[in-house]
Amino acid sequence: MINRTLSDRIFSAFNYIVATLFTLICFIPFYTMVIASVTEKRALIRFGYQFWPSQFTLEAYQWVLRGQAVLTGYAVTVFVTLTGTLLSLTLMCALAYAMSNKKFKPRNPIAFYVYFTMIFSGGIIPWFITMRAVGLYDNIWALIVPMLMNPWWIFVLRNYFNNLPTEILESARIDGASDLQILTRIVLPLSTPVLATTALFVSVAYWNDWWHGVMLLDFADFRPLQVIILRIINNIRAIREAMSVPGSTITIDMSQIPALSIRMAIVVVTIGPIILVYPFVQRYFIHGLTLGAIKG
Amino acid sequence: MALPLKIRQPAKRSAARELLRNLINYKLLLALAIPGLLLIFMLNYVPMFGIVIAFEDFRAESGFLSPFIGLKNFELLFSSPVVGRLVANTIGLNALFITCETIVSVSIALIINEIGHRFLRRMYQSIMFLPFFMSWAVVSMLLFGWFDYEVGLLNTTLRSAGLERISFYDDPNIWPGILAFLRVWKSTGSGCILYLAVLVGIDPQLYEAAAIDGASRLQRIRQISLPLLVPTIILLTLLSIGRIFYGDYGMIYAIIGSSAALWPTTDVIDTYIIRALQSTTNFGMSTAVGLSQSVLGFICVFGSNWITKKWSQRRGEDYSLF
Repeated sequence: MINRTLSDRIFSAFNYIVATLFTLICFIPFYTMVIASVTEKRALIRFGYQFWPSQFTLEAYQWVLRGQAVLTGYAVTVFVTLTGTLLSLTLMCALAYAMSNKKFKPRNPIAFYVYFTMIFSGGIIPWFITMRAVGLYDNIWALIVPMLMNPWWIFVLRNYFNNLPTEILESARIDGASDLQILTRIVLPLSTPVLATTALFVSVAYWNDWWHGVMLLDFADFRPLQVIILRIINNIRAIREAMSVPGSTITIDMSQIPALSIRMAIVVVTIGPIILVYPFVQRYFIHGLTLGAIKG
Repeated sequence: MALPLKIRQPAKRSAARELLRNLINYKLLLALAIPGLLLIFMLNYVPMFGIVIAFEDFRAESGFLSPFIGLKNFELLFSSPVVGRLVANTIGLNALFITCETIVSVSIALIINEIGHRFLRRMYQSIMFLPFFMSWAVVSMLLFGWFDYEVGLLNTTLRSAGLERISFYDDPNIWPGILAFLRVWKSTGSGCILYLAVLVGIDPQLYEAAAIDGASRLQRIRQISLPLLVPTIILLTLLSIGRIFYGDYGMIYAIIGSSAALWPTTDVIDTYIIRALQSTTNFGMSTAVGLSQSVLGFICVFGSNWITKKWSQRRGEDYSLF
C-alpha cells in the first residue's frame, strides 16, 4: 500500500482485532461442544466448563451410537438429504433452464408464477390440510417433497444460465444439438459454481429440517435426527417445569434426562457430516452466489 | 462477425425442418418446466385456496368446503387479547433482527475486505460460516447446555467460581437480545458473502485514485465501498421487510418452544398458529390469523418496493425489486 499513515495502521489493527473476536465467537461454541462431549459427566457437573477436559472419556459417543433411535434417525436424515438434494436440483435446473431460454414464450408468466409464491402464501393451516390430503403425511416423502421447489434458488439458477455466453449455446444449436443436449452437455458443465452452491444450501436445508418432521410425522416409527434432538430438549423442559412447581410430589427419574456430555455428543454427531462437505464447495461460493435474483 | 451468417445458412437449407425442430424443442422445454410447475402448484397454490377456511366453521371431514360463516373468525380474532402482543412481538423482533444483521454483515464484509493477509482472510471467512451449518434444534440444544440452571455450563462455572447463578429460562426480558445475538451469530457468515461479492467486484483503480488524492482507508470505505453497497443493502432489506409479518418460527419454536414464561416477549404470530394446530382448537380462526398475515405481508412488499422506487428514482437510479 502506498503511504501507510498512522491512522491507516490503527485502522488495520482494528480490523484484525474485530475479525478475530467475531471468529472466536463463532468458534467457541463448537469447541466447548466437542470438549463437553468427551468430558466425564460427573466432572462436567462439578467443575462446569473446562478449557481442557480433566477426565477424558468416549463413553458418551459409545452410548449414542448404541442407541437404536439415533442410528435410525441417521439413516432417515441421510436418505432424505441425498434424495431430496438430487431431486430438487434436477427439477429446479430443468425449470430454470426452460425459463432462461429466450425463445421459450411462456418464460415471463412462469417467472411471475414462481415469484408470486415468494410474496404470498395460504398460511400454515391450509398448507397442512393440503399436505394431508395429498398423502404427504406419516411417510418419508413428507420430509422430501415439500422442500423440492425453492423460488429463490430457481431464480439464482435461471440468472446464472441467462448469463452464460450465448455464442457457445448458439453455435451448439447450429451444429444440430437439441435443447436437452445443450442443457446436459454444455449448460450444466459450465455451471459448476452455481450448482455446487445450490446443492450445498439445499442439502443443509434438508439435513437441518425438523419442521416437516414435527408437523407431518405422527404415527410413523421413524424420526429424522433433528426431531430426535428437539424431543430430548422438550422432555428435559417438561421435567424442569414439573420440578419447579412448588410442592410437587413428582419424583423425577433423572436417568430419563441424557447427561450433558451425551447431548453434546449427539450434536457433534449430527453436525459432523454436513460440515465435512463444506470445504469441497467453499471455493465456488462467491461465483455461485450472484445477486439480483429477481430482476434480469 | 461470421456468426450471423452461420445462423442464416441452415435456415435457408430447410425452413420447414427448422420449424419442426423449434416445435420439438419448445415441447421439450415445456416438458422440462412442467414437473416443477405442477409441484409448485400443489405445494403453494392449492393451499392458497385453503384461505376460504378463514371464513368457515372448519370441520375436519369437509375440509376446505366447510360451512360459510362470514367474518366471525375475524371478529373472534380481533377481540382476542393476545393479538396485539403477537403482532407487536413479530414486528418488533423482526425489526431488531433486520437491523442487527444488516449492520453486522455489512461491517464484517467491509472488515474482511480490508484484510490483506490471504490465509487469515480465508480462515476468518471459513470459521464464520460454521454456525450456518447448525439447525435451530441443535442451537437450542447447545443453548440449553449453556443456560440450564442446574447443569448448564455457564451456571456450573458460575457456581464453582462462587458466584450467583442466572436463571435464564425465567426472565422474558433478556430473550429478544439473546435471539438477536443468535440470529447474527448464525447468519453473518452467509450474509456477508453477498456484500463481499460486491466489494470484490469494485475496480481497484477507484481506490488507487482516491489514495493518490490523499484519502485515508476509512475515507475510502465511506466514499467508495459503502455507496456501492447501498443497492445490495436495500435489496436485501426490502426482501426482509416484505417478510416482517412472518415470525422466524424455525428459530423461536425450537428455542423457546413450550417455555410459557418467555412468551410475553417472544411469542410470534407463527408460533401461535403452530400451537393452535397442535391443540386442534379453532382452525378457522388460526387461518384468519394466517390470512391477515399474508395480506399485510403482501401490502408490505409492495409498499416497501414503491418507497424504494420513488427514493432511488430521485437519485437517478432504480434499486427496486419489480
